Amino acid sequence: MQNYDIGRRSFLGTAAAAGGIAAADMTFLNHLRGAERSAELKKNDKRVILLWLAGGASQMETWDPKPGHENGGPYRAIPTAVPGVHISELMPKMAARMKHTAIIRSVNSKIADHGGGAKLMQLGRRDEPSVRYPDLGAVVARELGRTESKVPDYVSFYSMTEGQGTGPGTSGFLGSRYQAMYLSKKSAPDNLDRLETISDVDHKERADLRDLLSKRFAQGRETSAVGSHNQAYARVRGLMASEELFDVEKESAKMRDRYGRTQFGEQVLIARRLVEAGVPFVKVGRGWWDSHGENFETHLELVTELDHVMSTLIDDLSERGLLDNTMIVTLSEFGRTPRINQSLGRDHFASAWSVSLTGCGIKGGACYGKSSPDGNTVADGEISAPALFATIYQALGIDITKDYHVGPRPIPIVDNYAGPVTEVLA
Amino acid sequence: MAADFTKLKVTKTVDRKDILFGLARVPKSSRVFVGSSDFKLYDVDFAEEKPELKAIGEHQSYITGVALIGDDVVVTGGYDCQLTWWNVESKKSLRSITAHEKRIRQVVASPDGKLIATTADDMLVKLWDAKTGKAVREFKGHEPFTPHHFANTLCAVTFSPDGKQIAAGDKSGKVVVWNAADGKELGTLDASGVYTWDPVARRHSIGGIRSLAFSPDGKTVAVGGVGKIGNIDHLDAPGRLEVFDWQTGKQTFVLQTDGKLKGLIERLIFSPDGEWLVGSGGGTAGFIAFYDVKGGKILFQDSAPMHVHGLALNEAGDKLFASGHNKLVEWSIKG
Repeated sequence: MQNYDIGRRSFLGTAAAAGGIAAADMTFLNHLRGAERSAELKKNDKRVILLWLAGGASQMETWDPKPGHENGGPYRAIPTAVPGVHISELMPKMAARMKHTAIIRSVNSKIADHGGGAKLMQLGRRDEPSVRYPDLGAVVARELGRTESKVPDYVSFYSMTEGQGTGPGTSGFLGSRYQAMYLSKKSAPDNLDRLETISDVDHKERADLRDLLSKRFAQGRETSAVGSHNQAYARVRGLMASEELFDVEKESAKMRDRYGRTQFGEQVLIARRLVEAGVPFVKVGRGWWDSHGENFETHLELVTELDHVMSTLIDDLSERGLLDNTMIVTLSEFGRTPRINQSLGRDHFASAWSVSLTGCGIKGGACYGKSSPDGNTVADGEISAPALFATIYQALGIDITKDYHVGPRPIPIVDNYAGPVTEVLA
Repeated sequence: MAADFTKLKVTKTVDRKDILFGLARVPKSSRVFVGSSDFKLYDVDFAEEKPELKAIGEHQSYITGVALIGDDVVVTGGYDCQLTWWNVESKKSLRSITAHEKRIRQVVASPDGKLIATTADDMLVKLWDAKTGKAVREFKGHEPFTPHHFANTLCAVTFSPDGKQIAAGDKSGKVVVWNAADGKELGTLDASGVYTWDPVARRHSIGGIRSLAFSPDGKTVAVGGVGKIGNIDHLDAPGRLEVFDWQTGKQTFVLQTDGKLKGLIERLIFSPDGEWLVGSGGGTAGFIAFYDVKGGKILFQDSAPMHVHGLALNEAGDKLFASGHNKLVEWSIKG
């Protein structure tokens, strides 16, 4: 029998947040539905680290090699720890850890331009002008983030200038509460420091005074906006306290060496620090994979780095007991053409490409879907962006049948109520 | 007196579905052996009216390096790290060894045919006895990582005309010259103009040294690659030639192809008299350029039918044989 009791504290917190969002965004979210499940879910501390391979990584040089075919390129396929599953020889470390990871080799996302493809694969649905949809990070932050949390719900690293249009992420109709803390120039946020002219005691006392005045003001008045106001200030103090989470110097030299002293390695290490501290969603953008020329040399650099950093992250999360509750996703706006062009490059390709899911809720070692021998089409198990999002949500325990509401309009959390790929779910 | 390169014309073309890489020519003939992206070694004679490719043997990945030993033995190296000796008449593999820990990028024979030099992504140059296949010597001097912490690659190696020196060039633009007899490092050259690192927009690199050649007098080393690239999604810069007096390390001149002729100079060959130098390669299309070595200028440049990966010049200096993207071609230089 299901328990429909809703904790008072949980209810008030949720209601206050809803009021704040409504005030800020002129939308109303019918998120009370399933609130008891949501509260339980949030206690589970489930997290996501998205490794966003910006520009479009090649499926052939990562998860779906085609050795021996004229489209296959020079890199061989190597066996993995999972019998029968082979991946590119550029990923020997991931091959050894394949029992943690599921591969989907049959994504047909149809949009092969950077902007459109990135929107589709970040929103899980086609963008449309009449609704501002939230992206994966915002939805996960909304569903898994705790109202009382003092750490950010959604952090996004994206340091390349190419592709920055889709770097920040978007919270859409979920409102600014779930907008990513966006780091584009440095790996730590600016302006978290308390002003030198205000002591910490002063700062705290000001907060207490503000709280007291707010409570007096709230007496006999609608409280949602005031609640949101106080929450916002509380989060500011929390964010100020979380500054050291972004400080990679807090890690030992040995740990930093494990991840590698590259920007990507350091940002993924910070991502681990953030999820460990309770941040539900961290996106680390790594670009730029758009290898129209010299595909094999570009992938030699970038896949080698991905293999090292991702395998280190898996080990690190596993050693800390966090892997069962943390999902690692590799995702791009699209894959790359099987055909090799004159520059030994591969071009944009959305018809049959691959993603990987690791950790929380995922059946490690599963390999779903199949591309054709030449790689040009999906031969089996075609899935769309919404189905991928349904799979991710389901693995995290998020109710994939729920609706948000923007005004009177119901917006399914998964576009068109697409179903998940159950074959990769634990 | 240099040839009239304006009379350069394609005299034969073989269309293919595969990509053809390393190429070696049988002396005093139009017969070449070429390695392919279909993992096979082919024998083709341009003297035939309609040249056909005859398969000799197969690797487990792209064949990138091909060298001829004597009349009937070819040595091939590929991305599968294997170095294989073939009898081209019997089409039998004579020997196959795992020569490097990482991908073999080039295979060349010494001028006297007694040694084979290989270069690979393990950043080693190795010398092999051409007859027995025994390892003779290793040459070290290239860093395993680029200045930006990515794995370095070593794509070009060549012997001096007298066989006494060996030079190899890496992705970061460093050339090392060694004494072939004892492995002693004789000097380094900085050709970093062929390497582009993009720290802001795309955060990876492109380019590097793809071709090397000693002049017939052994004093000059020519280095080929691509110029600095703005948008490194593409090979979007002219082919770049850097020429050095290798004993002093001094760069004597740098030339870049016309802005329309973009991409990597994949192969460089000096003319028999050393007066001119030919370079060929490409990006989204192919190009060929002839350089005046003494004057330090481009004599002639034009598009090529394909992105060229392998090139051979005949003894008279009037015919070129090229392998590349979906094509093999024969050029006549004398018109």
